[in-house]
Amino acid sequence: MSSPRASVAPEQAGVTLPRGLLIAEAWSRLGPAVAPLGNASGRPLARTVKLILDPLVLRPVLNPRFAAGAVDVAHAEELRDRIAAAGPVLAATAAWFLLVKKRRRKAGITEGNPQDLYFQRCFELATTLGDPGAGAVAEADELLADVHDRAGPTVAGLRDYVTDPVNVGALLRMLDAAWAALPAAGPDGGSVLPDRFLATCVTRPDAAVFAELVTDLAGSRGAADLHRPGVAAADGLTDRELPTRPELGAAASKNALPKPFDRSIVQRLFAPLTDAARRDALADVPDLVRREIARSAAPWQLGAEPGRVAMLLGRAAAAGLVGPPAAGAAAQLRTRWEREAYVHRARRMPGDGVHADVHGVREAYLRRLWVRLHGRELVDSTVVATEVWDLLDGVLRSVILDQRDRLRTALERLDERDGHG
Amino acid sequence: MAETLRARRVESGVDVGEWPHPERTALVEGRGALLAWDVLSGAVFPAARVYDPVRAADWLWEVYGPEVAAELLGGAESVTAREDESPVRDACALLAHLGWVEAWWPASSVAGVPAVDPVLLNAELAVATAAVEHLLDDEDATARALAVATLPDIAVDPEVAALAARLAELADDHGVALPEPVAAPSRSEFALAAGGSDRTGTISVLSGVSPVDWAAVPAGVVDAAAGAEWAVVREPGGTVLEVTVLPAPGLAPRPRLSARFGDVELPLDGVDDLGRITGRVAVPPTVLLTPPARRVLTVYAAGFAETQPDPDASERRAAIIAYARSRVDTPTATITERRAGRR
Repeated sequence: MSSPRASVAPEQAGVTLPRGLLIAEAWSRLGPAVAPLGNASGRPLARTVKLILDPLVLRPVLNPRFAAGAVDVAHAEELRDRIAAAGPVLAATAAWFLLVKKRRRKAGITEGNPQDLYFQRCFELATTLGDPGAGAVAEADELLADVHDRAGPTVAGLRDYVTDPVNVGALLRMLDAAWAALPAAGPDGGSVLPDRFLATCVTRPDAAVFAELVTDLAGSRGAADLHRPGVAAADGLTDRELPTRPELGAAASKNALPKPFDRSIVQRLFAPLTDAARRDALADVPDLVRREIARSAAPWQLGAEPGRVAMLLGRAAAAGLVGPPAAGAAAQLRTRWEREAYVHRARRMPGDGVHADVHGVREAYLRRLWVRLHGRELVDSTVVATEVWDLLDGVLRSVILDQRDRLRTALERLDERDGHG
Repeated sequence: MAETLRARRVESGVDVGEWPHPERTALVEGRGALLAWDVLSGAVFPAARVYDPVRAADWLWEVYGPEVAAELLGGAESVTAREDESPVRDACALLAHLGWVEAWWPASSVAGVPAVDPVLLNAELAVATAAVEHLLDDEDATARALAVATLPDIAVDPEVAALAARLAELADDHGVALPEPVAAPSRSEFALAAGGSDRTGTISVLSGVSPVDWAAVPAGVVDAAAGAEWAVVREPGGTVLEVTVLPAPGLAPRPRLSARFGDVELPLDGVDDLGRITGRVAVPPTVLLTPPARRVLTVYAAGFAETQPDPDASERRAAIIAYARSRVDTPTATITERRAGRR
């Protein structure tokens, strides 16, 4: 492990340093006590930055001078000091994390990614209790119980609720009523706002334009054409000519989910309910079901306007994958897609056919985007302007990486010989 | 040691250095930039394609040093990078190299390049991925790498045991359950085939050997150095085109291959007594009139790149094969390379 060096002339106005360098430097001074939160190169884990340093230590929302990217040298010392000051809490967080992992192993828990599940909880414990001391094992066990047992509604609870004869009639009436009164927002009049937002959202997201899109109900109005024959199907959101009222459903499995608009109410709620990291943030079952029913009849089958705006923006940006080259976010998405063709060659993966299926990718893109936005609604996480690009880009990355995984599996399945040796 | 790198501004960012041929490329997909080392050049500093300068700036200093990274992103046309200690750059180079081994390791009985063990390779890939996960484009890269990993058999040697321990710890950190090691299958290293088998009543009237384009078949399927043999054979019943391809040593998955000879397409769906991949199709006698320039056999797997004539291919591939052969005995090479062909 070596410490990075930022040999930069002090206090030059306008001179910046990469934030990653400042963090790495401050981190390496914290020593081995924080190693469980770092990787083998001695840097903080991506999730340490995302779940601990950013939201709980540097807090760029409150301290824009610490935002991702370049940090003005004038603030460099302050940033380093802040991490140094958090050193004891971070060391305690690391110690708690080790203990929780040990207890997790003992309890035979295998569900979920420990970093996602426990990092912030361990930071809380470290902040309130300091290093794990007497009674720490009980605290760790309680944390595990909290995350894995008691937290939130369950799939079984959902299934019981929607199949209980006492509820079925009322729920079906609710669905019918919701679908009897379909979207009211008028069609989109060809506003230039989406393009204006997409033009700069990669580097300088314009919060004012995004706010205007939301108040303008641009997302809802952009969904009006989904009720024209074939439109939602062309966007990959349904296999039907027109979206139809979903079933209540009873069973679901993660592997064989239909397209988003064709999913039953149970299927829509299934994935979020099986995600241990988010389950505790969900409403209780009756509330979840009621809201899902209302959501299913809303524009884009999403409940809140910022998410619908994100769908609209995603559709506009993804059009750049197939159409003529566009600018801004659309151009960046397209370069990611084109880069993938190169990566396939360099990694010696099949490329023909895969790359020709760009329409399939656009559809997969919109489906994945919908699933992300839907998942965020369930935990009441509202999309804000500064997140839009990460969302739009992250969805394409995830579609592309899944495609790679599928190709890899397909190659193995095509093996002519019996099994693997 | 200093290395001079040229940089070019492009529409979406900055291109740094000379980009190697795909077969020589050891790639890392960083956040906002691709890095590529040329496995044959031995250069310390990779070429880079920076497509999102803001994201890349966060970590590019680890690779080129803070000053050079700032110059590159600031529009310099040429920079001089001085070699200094950078564990993160070394870790990136290791990950890149393992990716190259996965894609291009030229296993060949003919050239004496033993196959790599995919269990060791996937284990090393997962550990190397985790070491630089903070700068990768895919924030779930470690979990993804763990998903295809299995625990190596620790009885093999202490170095492998240490790797297995590290892998198990990583899996634990990410909540991934690794499959237990499976009993090592008896490896059938195919004996080198010596000529075609004799059959009575057939006359080979035209035959030849064409190289197999690596880019047209998946890794580890076809012997990287042996050519594909073809023969036009007269039999009592008519004229037949026969194709024979030597498989690579090792146990890589083997998808169905096809071949094209002039206008004739045929599936390579047979296996002969020597374990070679074979195909056979009836052809009109006019195939004998194929002009010499078109008597070329192309072997390919579905979906793989259409092959382009490449005059540099044979020299480049010979160099790669020699390089791979040397890696087996290079103390600083990866465990996967050093243990190639051993169990």
